[in-house]
Amino acid sequence: MIDHSLSIPPAAALVFHLKQGFWLYAWPMIIGFVTILGYQALGRVVMMGAAKWPVVFAMASVVSMISLFGWVTMVRFIGMIPLYGCGVGLASAIMSRIYAVTMPLHPKLKMRVIRVIWRGDTEGIQKLQQALRARV
Amino acid sequence: MKLGLFLLLVSLTLDAQGLVPRPAPDLRIVEASGKATTLSTFRGRVVLLAFISTQCAHCQRASMVFQQLSHEFAGNLQVAEVAFDEGADTPAFTKRFGLSFPIGVSNTDLTHDFLGIAHGERLGTPQVVVIDRSGMIRAQSERLGSPILQTYDYLRELLKATIKLQVAR
Repeated sequence: MIDHSLSIPPAAALVFHLKQGFWLYAWPMIIGFVTILGYQALGRVVMMGAAKWPVVFAMASVVSMISLFGWVTMVRFIGMIPLYGCGVGLASAIMSRIYAVTMPLHPKLKMRVIRVIWRGDTEGIQKLQQALRARV
Repeated sequence: MKLGLFLLLVSLTLDAQGLVPRPAPDLRIVEASGKATTLSTFRGRVVLLAFISTQCAHCQRASMVFQQLSHEFAGNLQVAEVAFDEGADTPAFTKRFGLSFPIGVSNTDLTHDFLGIAHGERLGTPQVVVIDRSGMIRAQSERLGSPILQTYDYLRELLKATIKLQVAR
């Protein structure tokens, strides 16, 4: 309760409410989204079988650390449950549209980079299938 | 419909707490050393008073904010705290967080009386109160706590406005 006769700049309250809104509502959604995105991307990279074990180890460590960091910094109250669920749902929906995640060697950078092959990318899917067949 | 309105009014009445602005009741702040100060001795300065529990993490964080503000508004602002948790070790609390303002000890009933809240009602801590130079309460936390009154940026603006309010009169 604040006396309304006090002339407090509205920006002060606005900044507070924006920050509060972010931590209470947006942050749980971001954490849910990033957690699922990270684990699913990791799972798909592992399933492709092309990545070396140190890469898998590093990716798994980073993804789990990000998700745990998110949980630690999350304001835990009952209202965050549906928001966290929304983030998880959104990430799952996006991942369902992804055919595969590969880590090809970048010709110029000479390092492995993450490449996403979407379900609509027929050319990319065919190339991937050919590469897999050739490996077998 | 009528029953709903009636129940709403009853719930609002039950949740009633002292409104602002209102005159601050006098309060005796007795520190652990036995030194006693009354709130009325701070008249002429804006007072930032907080009722805390020394074990509560929000109170600990807010106390550090209050310390920073007490330096920033030195001469115009008096910060004081009253710990109302059982067995509060205020000297240890003061030392741990490097606080230089008086911290008294009290009990829950006195805290409820000062805040204008019925005895037995659950309180969120810290309960922050801003009193102007003439002894009027200008801001007070909601019964279950107001995070906005624990943040440095907002409190600074609120205190500036309270200090200015007196200069204008």
